[in-house]
Amino acid sequence: MAVDHTMPILVVDDYKTMIRIIRNLLKQIGFDDVDEAADGSEALGKLREKKYGLVISDWNMEPMTGYELLKEVRADEKLARTPFIMVTAESKTENVIAAKKAGVNNYIVKPFNAQTLKSKIDAVFGD
Amino acid sequence: MAATKKKQHFGEMHTFAREHESKEPNFAEVMKLAALAAESMEAFCASMDATTYRELREIANYIETMKSEIGVFQVNDLKESRIPAAGEELDAIIKATEEATNTIMESAEALMAAEPKDLKSYQALVNDKVMAIFEACSFQDITGQRVAKVVETLQMIESRVGRFADAVNAKDVAGFLDDREATRAQRKESLMLNGPQLKGQGIDQKYVDDMFGKK
Repeated sequence: MAVDHTMPILVVDDYKTMIRIIRNLLKQIGFDDVDEAADGSEALGKLREKKYGLVISDWNMEPMTGYELLKEVRADEKLARTPFIMVTAESKTENVIAAKKAGVNNYIVKPFNAQTLKSKIDAVFGD
Repeated sequence: MAATKKKQHFGEMHTFAREHESKEPNFAEVMKLAALAAESMEAFCASMDATTYRELREIANYIETMKSEIGVFQVNDLKESRIPAAGEELDAIIKATEEATNTIMESAEALMAAEPKDLKSYQALVNDKVMAIFEACSFQDITGQRVAKVVETLQMIESRVGRFADAVNAKDVAGFLDDREATRAQRKESLMLNGPQLKGQGIDQKYVDDMFGKK
């Protein structure tokens, strides 16, 4: 599956600055259609309203974490196949194992750079 | 001395009971037994008074020590001055880093969007934005000093709590959390909210990539 650079991407993070960084990095690597959400529940609402090609989510947010969002997405028949990348400072083995078990497509440890983001997106879409 | 007398009285009362197992005691014998019992109780009460006094004295001394240690702890100073001041420093750090990040990002975004058609104005814009980035980076010096003040407060609290715990021989009681703390602790554990790890404690991107077996 080739990467579609026109696909809408949903970035979920409770820090506006981090959303801004990811938005700029995505722009650098050719993705312009970026929406944002401040936590899992806001993201879930947006995902049910619009079809996104990729979700890039932080883990630690309130009230709904990225991990809970991932499980909700995978449990929802209509959203289950949406590619999902976790971008987080949670760097314990148990977090990665749990995210993998819940069906995450890739996992990026903060801090990260544009090259890492690009290589993970490419890996998710099999490029 | 009191113990010997008590033992002697007990022996006499025991002998009296054995001797009167099968016969009714007369009035004089009952009175003698009552006198023995009263004398024993008197000795017992005297020893009780001394023990109780000693124990009360110990409790009073302990309370005095506690009062003095609580004074040294300077709870009001911590609660009304030092902890709020540390909170204000942390708020100022968050605000300063936010402002600096915004300035740096705005400058970087302006540089990315700049058109290099007119070389002179492009050069002026680059100079302006690079200077703005340099200026914004000066936040690190001030936040470093603020962090040092917070660390000093934490060290002071650590030292006072440590001294107080030693003085009262404090033991940790398991599960002593209020409802809010318990809910947060439970959420943290079930959702694996471990937060950022210190250098060398967490895993890196290469380790994650190996777990995924992908590039």
